[in-house]
Amino acid sequence: MTQLLPPNIGADALDDPFWDGCRRHQFLLHVCGVCQRAYWPSSTCIDHGWANMSWQPSSGRGVIHTYTVFHHSYLPWTADKVPYIIAVVKLEEGPFFHSDILECAIEDIAVDMPVEVVYLDAEEGWVIPHFRPTRPS
Amino acid sequence: MATGFSIAGLGVTRQGRNLQVPARQLRREALELALDDAGLVRKDIDGYIGTSSEMFEDVRHLGLSPGFIWSMNAGGATATWSVLNAIGAIRNGQADIVACVYGATPSSKNAPLANGRKGGYGAFGYGYPMMYGMVGAAAAHALHARRHMYRYGTTTEHLGAVAVQQRAYAALRPGTLGYGQPITMEDHHASPMIVDPFRRLDCCRDTDGGVVLLVTSDERAADLQSKSVSVLGIGTGDNLRNWWTGEVYDLHDDIAPAKALAFGQAGISVEDVDVACLYDPFTISPIMQLEAYGFCGPGEGGPFIAAGETSIDGKIPTNTGGGQLSGYYATGFTAMVEGLLQMRGEGGATQVPDAEVALVSGHGGNAGVQNTWSHATLLLGADR
Repeated sequence: MTQLLPPNIGADALDDPFWDGCRRHQFLLHVCGVCQRAYWPSSTCIDHGWANMSWQPSSGRGVIHTYTVFHHSYLPWTADKVPYIIAVVKLEEGPFFHSDILECAIEDIAVDMPVEVVYLDAEEGWVIPHFRPTRPS
Repeated sequence: MATGFSIAGLGVTRQGRNLQVPARQLRREALELALDDAGLVRKDIDGYIGTSSEMFEDVRHLGLSPGFIWSMNAGGATATWSVLNAIGAIRNGQADIVACVYGATPSSKNAPLANGRKGGYGAFGYGYPMMYGMVGAAAAHALHARRHMYRYGTTTEHLGAVAVQQRAYAALRPGTLGYGQPITMEDHHASPMIVDPFRRLDCCRDTDGGVVLLVTSDERAADLQSKSVSVLGIGTGDNLRNWWTGEVYDLHDDIAPAKALAFGQAGISVEDVDVACLYDPFTISPIMQLEAYGFCGPGEGGPFIAAGETSIDGKIPTNTGGGQLSGYYATGFTAMVEGLLQMRGEGGATQVPDAEVALVSGHGGNAGVQNTWSHATLLLGADR
């Protein structure tokens, strides 16, 4: 089943490299070449500006920093989803990333839980990164 | 010390659910109430600061002829931003009397969303997180609440204590949603979970209503008939600063710099505040702000409120009109109005005796992946 997309998602010249990375199952972050600080989405380094920013592969892993559980659907694409978890993942490289948490029971979600990216196909050729509890490798 | 400027006119319309009147009618009613309060006429208004995209139409409709018409768009921080910009304009000689105008009907719109459900509070876009179903201010604040629970052991009982206390105030305040309707902790726990950890009674509801403030110099205010209230100090902050440090979810707002600025201008400290009027869309908000201002220690906000310290007999009576949670949601103007009423001695059954300093906070203008808001702190002083 392909995921429905909200109407405000579309081609964006500044973030397109990230979405192209998702199509290759690569989780890219926008990294400053001077200080190596990682950002997401496209950003300008607060210390070194735009000139040295480039998209670089990352681990696709992080921990749950905080979360909420939606008990009602307010959007067409969540109608079959409730209850569902929305978490802020703190990526290993530093940035925060909002995601739903797949393959995780509501009662199991917890701050500090390790999570990893998983890619799902969506409408119109989009590939969307989601997170799930880290599996033993 | 103080800023040298006062709020010398206050107009507050009825505030409630689904009033079925145009928003500009509410703005007009509030303006007329404020003019009557100050003993001024329309032509005395030489600056206009609105909060609505309808404002150009408004000014013709309102019969005003100001030298400038501005719009502030900082959500719940707008009330204080409006006063701040009014002061700047008057100080620069652009105006003598500036009207800060709010009037909205969010609870009447209630337009259906694409899925047929009713839209309402917070049904606006959140950028990429919306792909996953992240929508609404309640969810955005739930992320702060969960983090606070994780860090400090804050509980649903603490959240419930906020809801119960503020409803107790509203139950005594005519014209509020909660008037005559106190709630218990059991009521809180029985209300349905919306976005964990928030139950319905942890969330405020949209209401319709209008508010107008008239800002002028202390000298001009002294000549007016109204009970003017001094603006002792103002400070601003934005949580984007804390996004960069990774503390954005640990901090409800960027209060520290705003507090330093406002209290510095006023020449007072937190101990001098008699009543707190805090922006409170959700129950976590007073908890985190009381901590950030220093009324209690970090992580102590929940137990502090549960112990009754925000009641009229407590250390810092807070949101004495019921706040947004149980009073009405005039965005940042709810807290501003309560601060003004308390300084004017017009708080009725929940007036804080001999209150001389009120703290007003505002918070608003959310955005996408960074989940951050503008913050405003304002200190009011009774002219007695």
